[in-house]
Order: sequence, then C-alpha cells, then structure tokens
Amino acid sequence: MTENDRPRIGFACAYTPLALIHAAGFMPYRILPTGDWPDQAGQMLHDNLCPHVKRILDRAMADDLPDLAGMVFVNSCDAMRRMMDAWKKIRPQDRTLMIDLPATAEPLSVSFLAGEFRRLAEVLSQWAGYDISADRIKNSMEQYDLLVSRLRDLHHMHQRGMLSGGSGRMQALYNAAATQPVETMVADLDRLISELTAAQSMDAAVPVFMFGNILPDSAAFELIESCGARVAGDDFCTGARLFDACETPAAIKKEAEDVSHDLARHVLTRPPCARTFDPAAPLRIAGDVVDRALACGAKGVIGHTVKFCDPYLARVPVVREALTAAGLPFLMLEGDCTLRSMEQQRTRIEAFIEMLG
Amino acid sequence: MMKQYFDDMVAGIARKIEDDPESRSPRKIYALEVARLGSRLYSGDGGVAWCGVTAPFDLLNAMGVTSCFVEFIGAMLAATGMADAYIDEAAHAGYAGDTCTYHRGVIGAMRMGLMPEPDFLIATSVPCTGGMAVMETIARHFKKDLFVLNVPQRETDESVKYLADQIRAMVTFVEDHTGRSLDQEKLQQAIDHTNEARALCEEAYFLARAVPSPADGRVLGNFGVVMALLLGTKAGVEVARTYRDRFKQMVDSGQGGIADEKLRLLWIQNRIQFKNPLIDILENSFGASVVCEELNDITWDPIDPAAPFESMARRAISIPFNGDVNRRIAHLQKLAREYRIDGAINPCNWGCRQGTGARGLIAEGLKEIGVPVLNLEVDCIDSRNFALGQMQTRLEAFTEMLSG
Repeated sequence: MTENDRPRIGFACAYTPLALIHAAGFMPYRILPTGDWPDQAGQMLHDNLCPHVKRILDRAMADDLPDLAGMVFVNSCDAMRRMMDAWKKIRPQDRTLMIDLPATAEPLSVSFLAGEFRRLAEVLSQWAGYDISADRIKNSMEQYDLLVSRLRDLHHMHQRGMLSGGSGRMQALYNAAATQPVETMVADLDRLISELTAAQSMDAAVPVFMFGNILPDSAAFELIESCGARVAGDDFCTGARLFDACETPAAIKKEAEDVSHDLARHVLTRPPCARTFDPAAPLRIAGDVVDRALACGAKGVIGHTVKFCDPYLARVPVVREALTAAGLPFLMLEGDCTLRSMEQQRTRIEAFIEMLG
Repeated sequence: MMKQYFDDMVAGIARKIEDDPESRSPRKIYALEVARLGSRLYSGDGGVAWCGVTAPFDLLNAMGVTSCFVEFIGAMLAATGMADAYIDEAAHAGYAGDTCTYHRGVIGAMRMGLMPEPDFLIATSVPCTGGMAVMETIARHFKKDLFVLNVPQRETDESVKYLADQIRAMVTFVEDHTGRSLDQEKLQQAIDHTNEARALCEEAYFLARAVPSPADGRVLGNFGVVMALLLGTKAGVEVARTYRDRFKQMVDSGQGGIADEKLRLLWIQNRIQFKNPLIDILENSFGASVVCEELNDITWDPIDPAAPFESMARRAISIPFNGDVNRRIAHLQKLAREYRIDGAINPCNWGCRQGTGARGLIAEGLKEIGVPVLNLEVDCIDSRNFALGQMQTRLEAFTEMLSG
C-alpha cells in the first residue's frame, strides 16, 4: 500500500496524536472548515456554537469529504463534544472515537491521557485489522519529526523573506501538511526548500505577532499582509501548533518503553492553547503571548478567534492587559471561518497597521 | 452589602417560621439554608472555596470549608435584580457578550469587589469549558491557589480511579490550605448525611411524579443543582426531609401543586433566574405545570463509606451534562416517561455551549418519544434580553398545540 492509498482518518483538533493514526496504517486527514457550503448544522446545534464546528458539520452534511475510515475527536471543549454528537447523527455509518483530554498536566492526568492514547491505539488496531507495534509507532513518529523539522525550516526561511507568497503560502503548506500523506509532504517540502534561495527585503512591512485558534484560510494571512504587515510569528491550532504537538519528545527517542505515557506528557506540557492550562500559573497564556510577540520582534499583536470560542474569549481580556502592560498594541478580531468575516474587518486591520507603522 | 442581604434574609425567614409554624414550607426551609450559605460566604471569616459545579461539596463540608460553585453568584445577582451593573462591568473589561452571562456576572462581581475573596479554588472540567476559564480568571485576580478536578467523560474503572485519585489529591491540597487534616469521623458523618439526603430526595422526586404532581413550577426550581451544596450536612437532610414530607402529605390527600393540572412540563437545564412571569402564565392561563427539572434527579449510588472517593467520582461523572448527548437525551427521555410529561421547555440560555449547543438533537430525541420541545431564546441572567410578549405568544402556541 502506498502512502496515497492509506485510508483516511478524519480529525479536527490540534491535540490529535497524528503519529498513532499513521502507525495504524491510516492517513490523518484534518477536516478544515474552508469552503462554501449551505448552512445546515444549525438544525442540530444552536446558533451560538463555534463556527469551526458548524462549518465542518456543514461540510459533512454537504458530503464534501473524502472517504473516511473513521473519525477521531478530542474532548478539547464543549463545542468539540457537540460536534461528535452531531457527527454521529449525520454520518451514522462512520466509526468514531473521542479522546478525553484533561485540562492540566499533573502526573495523574498524564497517566490518564496515556490510557486514552492506548485506547486509541487499540481501537485503531481493530479498525486496521492488525496490532500497532512499537516499531511502527516509532517509525511514524520519525516521519512526523521530519515533517515538523521541514515546516520549521520553511518557517525560518519564510521569516527571512525567502518564501514567496508570505504567510499565506506558509499557511497553505500547513493545510497541505494536515491533509496530505506525511511522506509525500516531506518530499514536497524538501524540494521546495532546495528551490528557495534569495531573500527579499521586508523592511517596509510592519512585523506583527498573531495568535488564536482557527485560521486556516491562507487568504486571511494574505489580507493581513496586504495591509502592510508581516506576520513575524503566529500561534494557531491550524498552524504551527498542530505540528509542534507532533514532535517526538526526547524521552521517547531515548527509550520507547511507554510511548503513550511520554506522548501524553508531551501533549499536555507543550505550549498550550487556551483550553489547557497550568493551575500554578493561572492565565499564563497572557504572558506566553507577550513573550512570543517580543521574541519575534513584533510591533503589535493581532488576535483572531472564531466566534463563540469560550476558552479564548474568556482569556482575551487578560491577554489584552498583559500586552498593554508590555507596551504592545493589540487588535482583536473575531471570525466565522469565512474570508468574508475577515474582509469586513479590513479597515480595522489597515488602521491598526498604520498606527504601528 | 451582601452579608447584610443574606443575614436579613435568614432573619426574615426564621422569624416568619417562628411566628407561624404552619408556614414552614419546603421552599422556605430551602431558601433559609441557601441564605445561610450566602451569609457564610460573605462573612469574611475565611475558609471559603470557590468551586466548579461538580466538586464534592459533602467532602468539603466535612473539612469545614464553606464551598460554593461560582455560578451561584451569577444566579443570585439575577434573582435580586442586580445583575445588570456587573454584566456591564465585565463587558467594559472586554469580556465578550457572546459568552455565558452567569460567568460574566461573576467576573463583574469579582472586579467590583462583590465576590468574596476565597482561600483557594477548586475548578471542575464538567459541566463546561467556560466554567474552567472563569475559575482560572478568579484565581489570578485574587492570587489564590487553584486545584483542578478533571472529570472524565465516560464511567470506566480507569476513569473512576483517575477522578478518585484527584479527589484524594484535593484533600491534601485542602489540608495544606486549611491546616486541618480530614477527620475520618466527620467524613463518615458527612457520608451519612449525604446518603440520608439522597434517599429523601429520591422519595421526594418519586412523589413529584404523581398525577396531579405535588410540585408546582417554583417549589423545585434550581433544587437539584443547589442541593449539591448542602450535601454532607444536617441542613441538607432537613431540607430534603421537608420536601419529602410535604409531597407525601399532598399526594396522600390528592392535592396538586397547582389547582387544575392540565399539562405536565419538563424544564430543561437552566431556570430563568431573574423575576419573570412565565411560570405564572403557564399555570394560570394554561393549567400547565413544570413538574420536573432536568437536574432534579438522583443519578448516582449512595456513597460507599468503604470507598468514598470512588463513589464521589462516580457521582460527578454521572451528571446528565457529562458525556455525549445521547446519554443526556436518554436521561431526559427517562424523566419524561417517569413524570408523564406532555411537553418540554428548553430556555436555551444564550452563551451556554455545553447545554444549549445540542438543542436540536435534544428536541429530536424527545420528539422520538412523543414529547414536543419548545426552544426559547433566553439569557437566563440578563433580563434586558427578555422579550416577554414574544415568550408569551410562543408559550400560548405551544400549550395550545399540547392541549389539542
């Protein structure tokens, strides 16, 4: 079976352990909320529910999905739980599984999540018809390590102005990496990297840091940059954050005795999105955003969340306070996973970039 | 201000009961104990913990901690007609209007100094992610230690062990903050009280199923969720016993909670917490009585004294809002059958992803057993979004349809 022939397993959350899915002989396929479909999910879920979830359901209801051998959900928020509920209703034939994800990373939670990953591996083995060996997992992790490494290289090259198309193109690569076979993707990225040479001057553009949850549309990044900004750093569920989670922890590389446990620890202790936190440092996310913005030399910060996202909306005011204290201007945008919602905010973005310049 | 409010409430109810022992109704005894809890929360004497909804309050009571879920404050602000200023304060601070108003009320109260300063906080991952965020915010604001109970979605041996072990760790956390060890005798006493209150509530709920029901649209409002705060205490037993006794007396004499019960309704999830005439309209104009509320049910086994933390873990996992929606629908269907429900009302509290999110699936699930659902668009805390005329028209159409 070639990589392209692997049956696809759908997923929608950056906490999904892609290497485990790959090790079972499947191709992880991120169902992105990009496209244009009739709004049908509202029949099942309330209007005030996350547009990421509803757009994915709209896509499923419009039958705009490739063949899926199953769907792996993650209990990352209320909306994700509701997505699985609705999914089972509209695609009852699909095999589904929900991974229960703790919000904190103390040892008990790491052990519990490790158990969830073992359960996932067992279920995937049943779906695949054979056991997933430790060697297969290790091999898949190596593949994803390569992918992460290439994406990081490209990101650095992009930051030096070597990637034509800017952040929009970088996002398109993230999207491809989330939906294409990992081996093919690594080969494509290798080829692309070998072709990139000359750096372009980026002096005129204003460096900004962007953070938030779901922003997969490369045109959204192009829009931001067309307003005179350069996205000097970003942190989105649909961007680098997904692939940071795929990097194999050093402990696993050393001795892969309990892969699930080490993987769980890595997933829970990597720089978190808003739904995962350290009780000892409440709202550390605010400091993290400031640190990352300063580290990439941003003159300002643009936050973007999809509407109705409780984990982010509840934490944004404190992020704003921290950015103000650090002297970093902040623009907060809300969207609905359509470019239309971004275009409506173009004037605000232009004014913000002008002010930074 | 709030201490005075609760003290006055306690004194007022106690005086009324003393002056007229016949007026000792279940709702009064319930309100008295809730007011006493409010008074303790605002006493300034310390020993207060703000918690998530599924915290083990009986265990915290046994440890001498005055504990309460934060949503209590949002509901209280709405019930007393004070919520607007606090919701506005949260809005001015940047908290989005699309989020839960229970939580925005709490944030506003915190920022305006109306929220008692806790000694520590215990967040719970169930029922909602918004609740976790507000706990993190309060912990940061007051610079107090936060403990998190991750409540698993499914009940398995592993998940129960995981939560039970977290509860054990929580005990150590509380001991470290109070300087007091968990007294095994007090724990046993709390377990006895919990189990006694549980049995009495079970009886009261059973009696409420009678036709006509001894319950009217108010007597059990918010009861199940608030009763959790009184578990492990004598007061909780007393409240439950008063309900059981009154309901038994009414059922034995064939007395209904409303004069002429024509329609029996199930209320889904949140009550509307500010004063509003919907229940009056239902009862007086249509003979429709809310005889059951989604959380007024016992979904857990008695606490096993030999394994209390495991029992408490199972209890937290068992709440209908946890897990997938089919579990919740099955529970609603069970209630609808047990109470011989004609129709259900879902207020669809704006901003509640956890509860309101699946409203279409819930409506479909109840429709499968012949129970129509009226979905309202309400913010259960912010009265400014309440369109009475529209509600009235919809209630009228709904009850007419049920009567037809």
